[in-house]
Amino acid sequence: MIRYQGGSLQAFEEIYARLAPGVRRYLWHLTGSEIADDLLQEAFLQMHRSRAAYNPQYPVRPWVFGLARNVFLMNRRAARRWSQVHESREDLPDFPVLPEADRLGSQDEIRRSLANVDPGQAEALLLHHEWGFSFEEIAGMLGISAAAARARASRGMADLRVALNSLQRGRA
Amino acid sequence: MMDPSPKPPETLMRAIARDLRPVAPSPGPLQLALRMGPLALLISSLILVAIGTRHDLATLGPLLAWGASAAQFVLAIALVWIAAHESTPSARLPRPLLYSTAIAASLLVLFVTLLTFSTSPASQPVLRVPPRVNEMLRISPWIMGFGCGIGSTVAGGILVLFFSWVFRNSLATRPTVAGALYGAGAGLAINAGWRIACPVSTPWHALGAHGSAILATVVLGALIGRCLGNRGSHAVS
Repeated sequence: MIRYQGGSLQAFEEIYARLAPGVRRYLWHLTGSEIADDLLQEAFLQMHRSRAAYNPQYPVRPWVFGLARNVFLMNRRAARRWSQVHESREDLPDFPVLPEADRLGSQDEIRRSLANVDPGQAEALLLHHEWGFSFEEIAGMLGISAAAARARASRGMADLRVALNSLQRGRA
Repeated sequence: MMDPSPKPPETLMRAIARDLRPVAPSPGPLQLALRMGPLALLISSLILVAIGTRHDLATLGPLLAWGASAAQFVLAIALVWIAAHESTPSARLPRPLLYSTAIAASLLVLFVTLLTFSTSPASQPVLRVPPRVNEMLRISPWIMGFGCGIGSTVAGGILVLFFSWVFRNSLATRPTVAGALYGAGAGLAINAGWRIACPVSTPWHALGAHGSAILATVVLGALIGRCLGNRGSHAVS
């Protein structure tokens, strides 16, 4: 990031190559639609515009994910399509699936069950289990305490288990 | 399956390549907040030099006069520090901390106002101006209130504009809240100096005129934050 702040285009490409896939899946989780691809480009464009605002004392990854979240929220404010965003959650082709939850059910079941978990809890759950952020990093991104981030992820996992159980029972 | 090392799209690369001038990394929130201190101190000092210190400083004592103002100033810097955190996508602070600091700032202003009044209930304007001006202010105290309110708001407004300029590129998730925090910091910093200059201690004047000025800078900061946030939304959409 410091090389990129110094004006290196190659450094930008390296950052993009390392972070874009994760950020894209995160945006898919937030939007649940193909608009995530547009927001991904917008997030990296915003990163470029705000590269002077980056402080090297913070890790790059949470900063870029936090920035992507801001871009999503700004877009949501501008478009005022929150309900539409959630309506389309059923058709997620690239929705992230928790590695820990893999043994609990099929990918399709987990996707469907995650859609029934509270969005705030699902976000904390995915940020921790899917993208490997620490609870301190999640706290900084979401504006909550580390304990609250841990509690959200934990409740999210419990709700996911309940949703999975009821889905599997319904199918049986 | 996703490409393991994706390349940025051509349009994005073109946009990036257009502006690749080197930039200096941003300092941390604490350093940013501390950098705001000297300007806030300068404006507060100018107010003191222009109006002069209040005539009952000896009655108030150094702790209530300078100590209370120093506490307000420190809290003002803390508010700017929290606002700087709120403007960093990965370093936001928990909401309870944010709200409790805002409540602490309000309570401090209220407490200092009441303590100042109970120690020295000065209600007569005694300024370094011709006696007939002091007499006019005594007869029509609302002029004094109006002057303090407008003066504090203008001084606080200058600080808010400066803060907004410094943080114009930040990406606050809640720009209105971040702006309001900068405004609260600016208003409190100005009030810290202004209360040592203002010769009237009555709660209606201190809270009505000075308190309104703090509120005005909070609203101004929130509005600027909202405008900057909307600018970002338009860029996105």
